[in-house]
Amino acid sequence: MAHRRKSIGIQRIAAYATIAAALVVTLFPVYWIAANSFKYDIDIFSIPPQWIPANPTSKHYHAAFVERPFLIYALNSLIIAVSTTLVSVVFGSLAGYALARFQYPGRWRYQISFWILSTRMMPPIVTIIPLYIAFNHLGMLNTKPAVIIAYTAFNLPFATWMMKSYFQDLPVELEEAAMVDGDTRWGAFLHVALPLARPGLAATAIFCLIISWNEFLLALILTLTERSQTLPIGIAGRVTQYNTYWGEISAAGFTACIPIMIFAFVVQKHLVRGISFGAVKG
Amino acid sequence: MTVSIGAKFGNSFERWFERHLRVLMLAPAMLVLLTLTIFPSIYMIVAAATRISPNPDLPWQFAGADNFLRLLTDEQFHVGLWNTLVFTVFAVGTEFLLGLGLALLLDRYIRRLNFLKTILMLPMMLPPVAVAITWKLIYEPQFGVLNEIMFRLGLPLQAWAGDVRLAMFSVIVADVWQWTPFMFLLMLAGLASLPDEPYEAAAIDGASAWRQFWDLTLPFLKPIIAIALLLRIMDTLRLFDLVFILTGGGPADRTKTLSLYIYQVAYRFADPSYAAAISLFVLFTTVAFSTWFIKRMRLAD
Repeated sequence: MAHRRKSIGIQRIAAYATIAAALVVTLFPVYWIAANSFKYDIDIFSIPPQWIPANPTSKHYHAAFVERPFLIYALNSLIIAVSTTLVSVVFGSLAGYALARFQYPGRWRYQISFWILSTRMMPPIVTIIPLYIAFNHLGMLNTKPAVIIAYTAFNLPFATWMMKSYFQDLPVELEEAAMVDGDTRWGAFLHVALPLARPGLAATAIFCLIISWNEFLLALILTLTERSQTLPIGIAGRVTQYNTYWGEISAAGFTACIPIMIFAFVVQKHLVRGISFGAVKG
Repeated sequence: MTVSIGAKFGNSFERWFERHLRVLMLAPAMLVLLTLTIFPSIYMIVAAATRISPNPDLPWQFAGADNFLRLLTDEQFHVGLWNTLVFTVFAVGTEFLLGLGLALLLDRYIRRLNFLKTILMLPMMLPPVAVAITWKLIYEPQFGVLNEIMFRLGLPLQAWAGDVRLAMFSVIVADVWQWTPFMFLLMLAGLASLPDEPYEAAAIDGASAWRQFWDLTLPFLKPIIAIALLLRIMDTLRLFDLVFILTGGGPADRTKTLSLYIYQVAYRFADPSYAAAISLFVLFTTVAFSTWFIKRMRLAD
């Protein structure tokens, strides 16, 4: 018995040690980009590395957001992310509810759901060339609506599946009761189902915001002008063939991470369902 | 029936609206997705079967299967395909094993996981651009942290992402850092939903922990494992951001993925027809694989 307790103790210590290691490995890179964003160039390049900024400075934040157009990039990112999220969540809730609640002949419910998911299987690089050409013909390159439309195509399948999964979890009796009381189906959706699905709506919206805020490839191809580019593109633009502006990209990169860290904290409860398209209950 | 205004027109519209509600609610999403997938698909097929002149005034010439035949002899395409496969197998494999191991360990020994989950999920939410430059900073041969650690340990310094032998390894490590939490969280959700009874029965039968894992845990987790692998593989097959910034596909094309190659063909070599042919290849491979995988794992039911 004593032996048994001892071996469990060792296993428990090993478990805690593994967790500690996982936490350090997870957090160090995030800390490192933050630390470097507050160092003078000479300290960034110091050998051995300066683990804690000795002379903290906001110089790189000033360089990025005042001298260079990173404020415009951040605004563009914000406008594009919010618009995409609005469209995706509204259309996604409608389609998600229809797929969760209505009757369909044969295997149509499955067919439609699967088709919606399959549009997400298309690698973005595949669809982006035709979209580029179409937007070029329409004179929409370097505009925010072009990016918003392209992002909606990638967020909508995700929003639909997530909302479908949340609606399926609601007890159908409440909507039925509202309809017995004289409400229409649309009314039952609007006044009963939608308010009950509020946590799901919030989680879906935050996931759409994160995906759009982070997206890189589509924005890279659809926008070439300073006025239309997003934060990720602006950051990548400071990694040039001849020079990498470490301080600036660290400052802008860390700034890009901050809203995401806040969102991650808020959406934590819904995380598993979100990242698995609603396939796994969180 | 309705409690709303009883005007005749309003009423008949309302009834029409209510009768077609299913279609009307599906329509916006379906129309957006149809437009944004059907048009690109048709364009890709037409473009891949033609030779598009760089001069927009010249008509497209029919090229038949020429663009697809080029795939057979194009060494850069083969390199891209090989890199994409190597990356997918090693990155997703490592993430799965690490994620499952961590989940098994934590599920058993730690009760209140919420705070830990919040921290561990950070990497996969961060902008890929930020992740790429962070790792670029860590891998930096002169002043990077990794070489400092190598130096302290008395190991030879490396060029990491700039080294022909280590570039792919470096990209995989960065991806593993970002996406192991994804596997971990999905496995943890799976473990939390396991029923107790079979384990109690197995304990009475005196089954070893290993047998319990192999005969009970793994089969129960299978659907979640399948979903997690599928979602990750779909992502790694299209890898772009990380290599674009971390290595640019180099050195010596060692980290050039198919997505990166398509990007180069379309925009640097200005050859949209051939880019379309490669894209169609990627699309068909992805869809064929996903469909096979979903059928195989019986995910559809």
